[in-house]
Amino acid sequence: MKLPLLSLLSLTIAMVGYSSTSIAQSSEQILIDKGEYLSKAGDCIACHTKDGGEQFAGGRAVDSPFGAIYSTNITPSKTDGIGHYTYEEFEQALRHGIRADGAFLYPAMPYPSYQKITDEDTKALYAYFLNGVKAVDVEVPETSLSFPFSQRWGIRFWNWVSTDNEQFSAAPKQSSEYNRGAYLVQGLGHCGSCHTPRGLLYQEKSYDHADKDFLVGEDIGIWHAPNIRAGENTNLEHWSEQDLVDYFASGRNHYSAVAGEMTDVIQYSLSHLSKNDLNAMATYLKSQAGQTRTKDKEPSDPERTTALLNSAKVEIDSGARLYLDNCGACHFTDGVGAPHVFPQLDGNSLVNADNPKGLIHVILAGARLPSTTDAPEAIEMPGFGWRLNDEDVAKLATFIRQSWGNQSELVKEDDVKTVRSAIPTNVLERSAP
Amino acid sequence: MARQNKPVDVVMIGLGWTSSIMGMEMTEEGLEVLALERGKDQDTVPDFAYPKTADELTYGVRYKLMSAPVDNTVTVRHSSQDVAVPYRHLGSFLPGTGVGGAGTHWNGHTWRPMPEELRLRSYVEETFGADIIPEDMTIQDFGVTYEELEPHFDFFEKVLGISGTAGNIKGEIQPGGNPFEGARQEPYPLPPLQRTLNDTMFEEATNKMGLHPFPLPAANASEAYKNPYGMQLAPCNYCGFCERYGCMNYSKASPQTCVLGALKQRKNFSYRTGCEVIKINKDSSGKQATGVTYIDVNGEEVFQPAKLVIAGGYSYHNVRLLLLSKIGKPYDPVSNTGVVGRNYAYQMTGGATLFFKDKNFNPFIGAGSNATVIDDFAINQIDFKKEGFIGGSYISAAMTNGQPIRNMPLPSGTPSWGADWKKAVKEYYGHAMSIGSHGSNMAYRDCYLSLDPTYKDKHGLPLLSMTFNWKENDIRMTQFMKKQIENIVETMKPDHVNYSFKGPGSEYDVRPYQTTHNVGGAIMGTDPATSVLNRYLQSWDVHNVFVMGASAFPQNIQYNPTGLVGALTYWTAKAIREKYLPNPGPLVQA
Amino acid sequence: MKTEPSQNNSRRKFLKGAAIAISTTAIAPNLAFSAFSQPPNIDLDKYKPSYFSAAEWTFILAATDRLIPADEQGPGALETNVPVFIDMQMLGEFGHASDWYMQPPFLPAKPEMGYQSPLTPAQTYRQGIKATEDYCQQTYKKSFSELSNSEKDTILSQLQSEEIQFSELGSAQFFSFLLQNTKEGYFADPIHGGNKNLASWKMIGFPGARASYKEWVDFPDVEYPLGPVSIDGERG
Repeated sequence: MKLPLLSLLSLTIAMVGYSSTSIAQSSEQILIDKGEYLSKAGDCIACHTKDGGEQFAGGRAVDSPFGAIYSTNITPSKTDGIGHYTYEEFEQALRHGIRADGAFLYPAMPYPSYQKITDEDTKALYAYFLNGVKAVDVEVPETSLSFPFSQRWGIRFWNWVSTDNEQFSAAPKQSSEYNRGAYLVQGLGHCGSCHTPRGLLYQEKSYDHADKDFLVGEDIGIWHAPNIRAGENTNLEHWSEQDLVDYFASGRNHYSAVAGEMTDVIQYSLSHLSKNDLNAMATYLKSQAGQTRTKDKEPSDPERTTALLNSAKVEIDSGARLYLDNCGACHFTDGVGAPHVFPQLDGNSLVNADNPKGLIHVILAGARLPSTTDAPEAIEMPGFGWRLNDEDVAKLATFIRQSWGNQSELVKEDDVKTVRSAIPTNVLERSAP
Repeated sequence: MARQNKPVDVVMIGLGWTSSIMGMEMTEEGLEVLALERGKDQDTVPDFAYPKTADELTYGVRYKLMSAPVDNTVTVRHSSQDVAVPYRHLGSFLPGTGVGGAGTHWNGHTWRPMPEELRLRSYVEETFGADIIPEDMTIQDFGVTYEELEPHFDFFEKVLGISGTAGNIKGEIQPGGNPFEGARQEPYPLPPLQRTLNDTMFEEATNKMGLHPFPLPAANASEAYKNPYGMQLAPCNYCGFCERYGCMNYSKASPQTCVLGALKQRKNFSYRTGCEVIKINKDSSGKQATGVTYIDVNGEEVFQPAKLVIAGGYSYHNVRLLLLSKIGKPYDPVSNTGVVGRNYAYQMTGGATLFFKDKNFNPFIGAGSNATVIDDFAINQIDFKKEGFIGGSYISAAMTNGQPIRNMPLPSGTPSWGADWKKAVKEYYGHAMSIGSHGSNMAYRDCYLSLDPTYKDKHGLPLLSMTFNWKENDIRMTQFMKKQIENIVETMKPDHVNYSFKGPGSEYDVRPYQTTHNVGGAIMGTDPATSVLNRYLQSWDVHNVFVMGASAFPQNIQYNPTGLVGALTYWTAKAIREKYLPNPGPLVQA
Repeated sequence: MKTEPSQNNSRRKFLKGAAIAISTTAIAPNLAFSAFSQPPNIDLDKYKPSYFSAAEWTFILAATDRLIPADEQGPGALETNVPVFIDMQMLGEFGHASDWYMQPPFLPAKPEMGYQSPLTPAQTYRQGIKATEDYCQQTYKKSFSELSNSEKDTILSQLQSEEIQFSELGSAQFFSFLLQNTKEGYFADPIHGGNKNLASWKMIGFPGARASYKEWVDFPDVEYPLGPVSIDGERG
């Protein structure tokens, strides 16, 4: 944007209700802008944009246990997108999983969560997608799962059994902040798509906090989406609301740093939400208690690891030695890392997940934080897959999972081999000399 | 015929510290800003990733992060009577290149000059009389005062997350800091780095002697830190691979760790690498720049039009550009006329190595700015008339690394190879510490920069030529510092000590590393007859050209230059934003 | 994309002790030679030099063995593969002076003006070794490697002080490269071909590429006990 030097600043208009540098907007534009904001909350871009593709033009293969499900083009293209959708058709697709031609959408599209979106918000989203997004005339591949999943009409029965078909209901005794948070988490945020365990029909076990299984954690491929209930008797009990907000806004907080699938969620969705909305979500999650502590006993001697590593008197082939040679430089001998920069390994959910493959992936390939407005530095952990063989990685991961206060299962060499085989060579070699 | 790009508001030459800072400032004004960097893009991961960066041979000895002489170098001679010959491989100074420039591989010493240093000539005349200034010494005032720069020192220190102990807050002397420093408004943003054994030994000795030790102000973070741009630093882990290396764990302040993530988020900022600017273009009047010409990655010449040109390259590189672009009158030492190239200066250093057989220094446990300093012999503490020189130094004990190829001090007289050499290595490695003096270098009539008549770079353009030698004044100063260090050594009583100081007759030697503090050549000042830039670092001749960096120093301060370079950049940015942009033109009437 | 772990980790193959012969095909000087494609810890006896001829190699072995001899103090240049390092350096950027400004004219200048020779280090070695061998033949009627240890030491000292003068190049400059590269090969990370088994680091107590000591700042004047690690992960 070229401006005559400094002349624009003299046009600063102070107008009640508007930001200081904007000019009066039409109500239609306001609705479109609101829809854009809500689309970020819903993270539509994550599925509806493929790598290197244009925004919302679809074509991304969303992996499911049943095969690849291709996201559709939801730009207002008349030939390949939703340019011809009426509001009613849009609403039916978004909240009920029914396409304009009457076919059922695979629930890779999280319509069971989106059915909680209010009419007002749905109208704003419609305004954005039809009038605020650039139309892209690009055809996307048809999803073709094998029989019986190719039979979309069967989804009707799945919907009957597996979804609530309930609108969002605010809890009358709770604050408006709590309810706003509940609305976002249950609806647009569709956090349960990853964080709620799935049942035999691969449905989310529950869609709101009335059920104790809501958001208690699930595996997504090799990654573990942890329990994000953050109230009493949960692993996040020690996180304050601010810790949650920091994490949403920047992928990093006093204790942890994001890795894996959640990185994109922060980059494209959560970091774009207002602080009010993030606070609301944090309020809601902090009010969700757990059933029992997942850690039943206190570790016997959490200082033991730190003392051992500090002494630098460790066996040459031990996990402790591997830790000092690879991890200590950033995560330090107490496993605490550095607040907001290097995650704490002691008590970390990825480190301690039942499925160790996410941790293995991070050790092999590293992890890069998103650059967000709050925290512009894309701090990156280098990968060690070029340096450590499978045996070493298993030993090191085991050491980390059983050090300080961590008490998790050992890691097997075979698991490392499996994870390594799925990582491209150029990624493994990225930080090699 | 050069290809032409579409115009931008601001073009910045180089993307090191000064351009990174300028980029933040200019983009805040809503201007379209483009940086052109001759070197490659680089970032902590993968370029400085752990552990590959802990490679002494590649980075410490073969200088992989530095600007290779095959691409850019200078010629050197001691006096105008000599023929200058090329600085064919790196030694005395190590210029940077690539995104981040030398700011990626410095050691992080971040100082403010003393108030007196910014008005050195006036200070000497007022305090000792003008007649103690030798005839060929051409020292000058900067044209800007410490008080004017104070808020900019402060902000730069906050951007870098400097770890230190303030010595003078608003006039009140603080315990544990430098009692001789200029007053600051606020303490350092982070507490000082932890002291290592050499620090405590030096502290003990100097305290006993009634001197005033304090931690060296360090751009190596002592704790996790978030700076005003939202950029983050991690706590330094004393890895011992600091100077000459990119930092592996985000603890050394660099353009990458302190600015660029935030700058790259701005839609009105862009940068190109592999683009070497070879000229600042002027219009037919010669009084206004129209943009710059650069050679792109394919070797093609490209013209980049711009309204404002910021020269943000390494100091002497900026001088060369001015000469090649014919901006300002080149300096002629014979007639003592002209300005571009005059007052080139360097840094006078010396040191002692102390051997203690029964002490374990663990030298590999070090950080670039891990040091304890005394400033009792600083410029404002010395009676120039009595001591017979103008200048000063800080004296420090530093433990930065224990890299065995480059840093293997052995008692003098030890053979340089063979069984006895190896025996000494085994006996003394880890049992030595050093005390060094780092001091001022005055400006002289026959120390200057010019274009070389013979040697050319890979584009066929003349190399910059450096005419420079040590002068009696600064040699007397360094010998004075040697005596002070001898006194400290006597208090510490090592088993052996080596001294390495320039003495009478010492000539400038390009072979051993000294400092990468080449200053002057495009100096700032109040008089266009004796300076290239006015006090806002604006060219007297071409008002839309501003030249950043230590090339603006009329002589060298006793400290490492970066702190002052950063502050001057913010000072200039403020002047551009508040005074220049609303009314483009010369900011100071000549 | 599937990747075979063994292809990924070619370095790990070497760390498991495989001895691999180096190709003897000449490498064009313009190619960026990757020092990291050579395996560390190769047996010196099995190494076939790529730059040095057989006769030159014999000289290099003999000379480096005197510059850093093996004894009870610690390992010498031969057992740490210093000659391998030097051979690899000759093929790379250092040997070719790729980073240096090598444009003429090359004028005589004071030593303080630094290197002004038109010869690259690789050329300096070639000519220097030949001139040294010529001198040995003239003076002792033997090649350098056939001399006694004290005779070898004498020659090396005389090169260092330039008591022996060459006509085509500076003998002290040749010696200077030889000594510099010998020490580099001795102390550098094994990824460059020398410092076999991290032996020099073990001798002096240098932890190598661990580069992580925040907790140890709290223990001044205590000898650091942990052995070294190389960039590739080799542990000592």
